[in-house]
Amino acid sequence: MMSTGNGSNMNPKPVPAWLNSAAWASKPRSPVRASYSFGDRSSSASLVESTARPGGDLDDPLSNRAKPQETVASQEESDASALAEQAAQAQISDNSEHSSDSDENKVAKSPSSFDYRVSLFNTELSRRRIHLAELQRLSAQGIPDAGGIRATTWKVLLGFLPKNRDEWATELKKKRATYAVFREEMIINPSEVTRKKEEMEALKAAELDALEGPLQRHEISQDDHPLSLGSKSVWHQFFQDTELAEQINRDVKRTHPDMQFFCGDNDFARENQEALKRILFIFAKLNPGIRYVQGMNEVLAPLYYVFKTDVDETNANHAEEDSFFCFVELLSDFRDHFCQQLDNSAVGIRSTISQMTQLLRRHDEELWRHLEITSKVNPQFYAFRWITLLLTQEFNFADSLRLWDSLLSNPDGPLEILLRVCCAMLLCLRSRLLAGDFTTNLKLLQHYPAIDFNYLLKVADDLKN
Amino acid sequence: MVLVLALGDLHIPHRAADLPAKFKSMLVPGKIQHILSPGNLCIKEVHDYLKSLCSDVQITRGEYDEDTRYPETKQLVIGAFKLGICHGHQVVPWGDLDSLAMLQRQLDVDILITGHTHQFKAYKHEGGVIINPGSATGAYSSITYDVNPSFVLMDIDGLRVVVYVYELVDGEVKVDKIDFKKPQ
Repeated sequence: MMSTGNGSNMNPKPVPAWLNSAAWASKPRSPVRASYSFGDRSSSASLVESTARPGGDLDDPLSNRAKPQETVASQEESDASALAEQAAQAQISDNSEHSSDSDENKVAKSPSSFDYRVSLFNTELSRRRIHLAELQRLSAQGIPDAGGIRATTWKVLLGFLPKNRDEWATELKKKRATYAVFREEMIINPSEVTRKKEEMEALKAAELDALEGPLQRHEISQDDHPLSLGSKSVWHQFFQDTELAEQINRDVKRTHPDMQFFCGDNDFARENQEALKRILFIFAKLNPGIRYVQGMNEVLAPLYYVFKTDVDETNANHAEEDSFFCFVELLSDFRDHFCQQLDNSAVGIRSTISQMTQLLRRHDEELWRHLEITSKVNPQFYAFRWITLLLTQEFNFADSLRLWDSLLSNPDGPLEILLRVCCAMLLCLRSRLLAGDFTTNLKLLQHYPAIDFNYLLKVADDLKN
Repeated sequence: MVLVLALGDLHIPHRAADLPAKFKSMLVPGKIQHILSPGNLCIKEVHDYLKSLCSDVQITRGEYDEDTRYPETKQLVIGAFKLGICHGHQVVPWGDLDSLAMLQRQLDVDILITGHTHQFKAYKHEGGVIINPGSATGAYSSITYDVNPSFVLMDIDGLRVVVYVYELVDGEVKVDKIDFKKPQ
């Protein structure tokens, strides 16, 4: 019943458009139900289901989109808030289709299309060979917050987990072991090192327990003592790393101070902070070129959060390792933004910012002119943070997770969609920006107001021509 | 992993001008968490120098110290160890283990740091450890001949202490190590 493999299906031919008409729906049409019409599985009903779903504070921001989504094929009227990706295209990709009637009936009867989206993802993720394009398409509409789906999806999207499901176990084991090795090598405690050395030299345990008498002195080499300045000395290296560790520590302590997960007064939060510190430290040691730059902690935080809150126990326990590798993957696209020397080069942050402003100019010359020339708002004042931190600081945490779903699932890479979303953010505030001067515009852009995400992403998609 | 520096009996400026250059080059700020000094610095400038190495400086009064406000003895807790400091000129006979052990019991400490004899000593005696870091400048002493400059750095890690003894022998810095564990 369920299609397996690469999407072999009972109907190999794509379903004709007229079949998508709502008239074929088994249930009478209602705004919520509209998305269940036959053939259209790619609805953005995830936003609707979040309102139906009880609890789930992570989905609360999505619930302010009270309008139900109608994203059926072109026959339906799609209002402005529908994601353009699904609107009118209604790609009937074989993989996503549950073409059995009973399935559809069951789904149409289900009170919450959230479950439906969950089942979609579960199907997709449980294939033996995951179809990346399909997963990307599904994720771009938002990943439902249940059962660790987001964690697994992000891992697949970032390339941490291979497409072939059979290889998952071995890959995970290999990568987690690699991290353990890194941890051993990079995070040195010189006291531990000295202790191990002694144990190797089989020090007289008797001496340690001797009750009386002069304590015996043992000569040691010039590198083994804490004040040694030799470059080979474990101690010397340790003290040189202390400065790096201090910097990381300061930033980690300030990450998301409003969240109990990061800054709570309990052991769990402290453990999380320690894990973040270790990841950033090891990354800095492995990449002496960029070391640690303030802001990397913000990029790491959502990854670690999603992996740590995975429902699967094993995965949650290895969240540190997994988020390290995913962080490396994610940063590989953006590392040039963090390198100060590259600021003015063709790959640096300034160039990316100007790419964004050029995009704005192409689509809305008037707004661009007003921002750049009339009110003289230098894009660096606001876009720098938007781009380097991948918009984590502009919206609340739950919203930025949703946004990252779209960022990570873009087939052309996260940077491309990031620029479009930034541009869309400007376009959405068009009227207010045009009416404002330097001060008001800057204030507005640096404290970006809450916005309907659906609309924002649709605008971003429209820019993709 | 707490690093504690113990050095005393510098007698600057009366008997010595300054710490040996090789010692000074090793003592850089940022590495040490505590400094304990039995006394006889003797002037405020030396105190300021020690303060520049580490913000937590504990000093007891030696008989030649010019600052009269230093206490006679001090006790503090670092990690699992109780440390006590006293210059030692008050304990007669000078350098006598039994008398020092009496002082240790009085202060109720695991490690007692004393000075005055200008000679390095590390003894386990009657349940406690007595450490004499010697004189960091190698200043003249009436009770010891041929004083070598020396000081002590302790690495307190849980229930173990690793004591690093730095001694300037014939112009070269020799480092020795002593381990001991706190009895359960």
